[in-house]
Amino acid sequence: MLNVVLFFLATSLVLYVILAGADFGAGIVELFSTKSNQALTKKTIYRVMGPVWEANHIWIIILIVILWVGFPDFYNVLVVYLHIPLTLVLLGITMRGVAFVFRHYDAYKDKSQILYDWLFRISSLLTPIFLGMTAGSMLSGKLVITDSYEQYTFYDLFIAPWLNGFSILVGFFFAALCAFLTSILLIGESDITNRKIYVRKSKYATLMVIGLGFLVLCFGFINDIIFITDFIKNPYTIVLIILSALLILPLLRSIKQATKVLSRTLAGLQVILILFAAMFAHFPYLIIASNTEMSLLETVAPEAVIKVLGITLIIGGLVILPGLFHLLKSFKMIKVLES
Amino acid sequence: MDNLDAARLQMAFTLIFHIVFACIGMVMPFFMIIAHKKWLNTRDPIFLKLTKSWQKGVAIFFVVGAVSGTALSFELGLLWPEFMKHAGPIIGMPFSLEGAAFFVEAVALGFYLYGWGRISEKFHWFTGIIVGLSGVASGILVVSANGWMNAPSGFDYVNGEFLNIDPVQALLNPAWFTQALHMTLAAFTATGFAVAGIHAYQIYKKRQVALHKKAFKIAITFGAIAAILQPISGDLSAKDIAKRQPVKLAAMEAHYETKKGAPLYIGGLVDDEKEKVSYKIEIPKALSFLAFGDFNAEVKGLKDYPKDVRPKVSIVHYAFQTMVGVGTLLMLAGFLFFISLKKMSWWKNKSFWLLFSILAPMGFIALEAGWIVTEVGRQPWIIHNIMKTKDAVTPMPGMIYSFYMYIILYGVLTVAVTWLMIRQIKSLNQAKLA
Repeated sequence: MLNVVLFFLATSLVLYVILAGADFGAGIVELFSTKSNQALTKKTIYRVMGPVWEANHIWIIILIVILWVGFPDFYNVLVVYLHIPLTLVLLGITMRGVAFVFRHYDAYKDKSQILYDWLFRISSLLTPIFLGMTAGSMLSGKLVITDSYEQYTFYDLFIAPWLNGFSILVGFFFAALCAFLTSILLIGESDITNRKIYVRKSKYATLMVIGLGFLVLCFGFINDIIFITDFIKNPYTIVLIILSALLILPLLRSIKQATKVLSRTLAGLQVILILFAAMFAHFPYLIIASNTEMSLLETVAPEAVIKVLGITLIIGGLVILPGLFHLLKSFKMIKVLES
Repeated sequence: MDNLDAARLQMAFTLIFHIVFACIGMVMPFFMIIAHKKWLNTRDPIFLKLTKSWQKGVAIFFVVGAVSGTALSFELGLLWPEFMKHAGPIIGMPFSLEGAAFFVEAVALGFYLYGWGRISEKFHWFTGIIVGLSGVASGILVVSANGWMNAPSGFDYVNGEFLNIDPVQALLNPAWFTQALHMTLAAFTATGFAVAGIHAYQIYKKRQVALHKKAFKIAITFGAIAAILQPISGDLSAKDIAKRQPVKLAAMEAHYETKKGAPLYIGGLVDDEKEKVSYKIEIPKALSFLAFGDFNAEVKGLKDYPKDVRPKVSIVHYAFQTMVGVGTLLMLAGFLFFISLKKMSWWKNKSFWLLFSILAPMGFIALEAGWIVTEVGRQPWIIHNIMKTKDAVTPMPGMIYSFYMYIILYGVLTVAVTWLMIRQIKSLNQAKLA
């Protein structure tokens, strides 16, 4: 049953990163657009994502529930030591959600739209940065896990782990990844005259992802961050990264030719490859603190709990996935799969 | 203020906010599908207009409820890491099922909101029903987790360790049924009266009267039925608490001295220091009867318990009085509505509409008071008789700043959503109806 739970954990992580990522990216692409393109992007995004907007973000709740039920000690470390960045993520999620509702459901379309739009765009950029920083700090080697809090300063325990070069770079890397996903998604959703806007954006975003990814690796290597040194040594990780590098050329070509299905598949694949490379690099030690390493598998809850959790997830999956698939299909959001 | 108080205030504040949104998001879909059904049956455009404006309300409250719910799922861990570390594996099941129900609701709502003219009429209406049912299901499931905190079960507590965990038994804890029943009825009462009250006010102001009367009737029917049934569920809850959490019951009633044939206090000022209640109305033997169904049963008083396991009596007592008082008022208003259906002349009377406008916030006041009773009444325990709240709080200092931040955030949200709602109603009143 543990494997079922791990499968759902990985699946919700991948789906959250891709679906919510594309959703965060929507605001980022809008933020970095000229005025006339902003309106276009807003309209297209709403048409494409509107019906699944809420569903995209529920994956993180599933993710959290699996962690706290199945891996309570692991979850405990995250919520105690990463309290501040997680609170910032929450602020971002809340502001974004509210701004989204307001800009689409306000009965009057007047000047207040300007405020909603800016709120939406800014929080769309900041939320993934904070999310990335949280993930980065798990692996930064800066966490101090202890029972005697008095021996350390507030800064050492609660600030230093996330407010450092490595975590911040990971934050920006994740934001770039979001923008990358959205701009490629938008190529296939816009008509021929507007397509070139998103083709150009996709190229920039791809270069940003590659550049920032490279920076994260270099920074980690120079500063001897264990995660990165292991990342470059792990054979599985290397294979995954080489694969992802090889796929960049066809990706760029498919962006240039604006092929909808291929570009999306390749973009999604890139994200999955990067995620899995990062996971495998140090699995199962997904929290790397300065004084200890914490294995996800050593924090697993008693067997009875995992069994029930696994069954619940299977039942939930059987109910939800067909519905979600039907929803995507009804509103022609997965033409990709049809053609 | 110390860390514990700040964390408790923040939790209280977030929950008070979330409950309003969650209830409306859970109950309003039912009003919406009734109006929708009436549109399908009669093709009266007023019903279509009503369905669509309620649908906007549902969408707004659902999304705000969803983000505040996401915030809560983080906050549980951020504020109470020790609690979640031990409780997570035990009560994870209702949370994961709630997550699933919530997901179903989001998918169904996607269909409903965007389905106009795109999917078959019958299927479209059906997805509305799914929205309502899965909303209620998630409410009922999440209450199970709270029930478990009041009636911990599904594990053996040996030397400070939680052993032999049985998540199914924890889900089916003995407090679940009475709490879930009470909460579901409360959600229908509060939302029914709130929505009906808003429409009553529009009728009072003579705006779009035909539409608002139809809206009022649908919403108040749900609210009135729930309000009339609520005392029965309240009685079940009281008897349950008398058995399982006698300290909480004693605090609710501000009952200090153990007595056979204990009287029931109505109102009264509680002096926590001197342990006395003054200016109360006493009904002889009523408490013994309400708690145990026997006029001469012994009800244990607060003084029989050590001070460090008693909750703050004044808060619990006042909140309980508010809940029961307002609940009774709403029950009477419910009867009034059903009588008014026989005497339609009342509907022409302005004060009838004024009355229901004033009642609009009352259901939510009672509902929040009820949650204060159950939550403050459980203190100092976070898990009744197992773990104290002070042992569960985060070790991170400075929670007071986090509390201030949440006050500002939710303050802004409340103002903004209210503003949005006012604009919805204004636009509805300006619309031309065929």
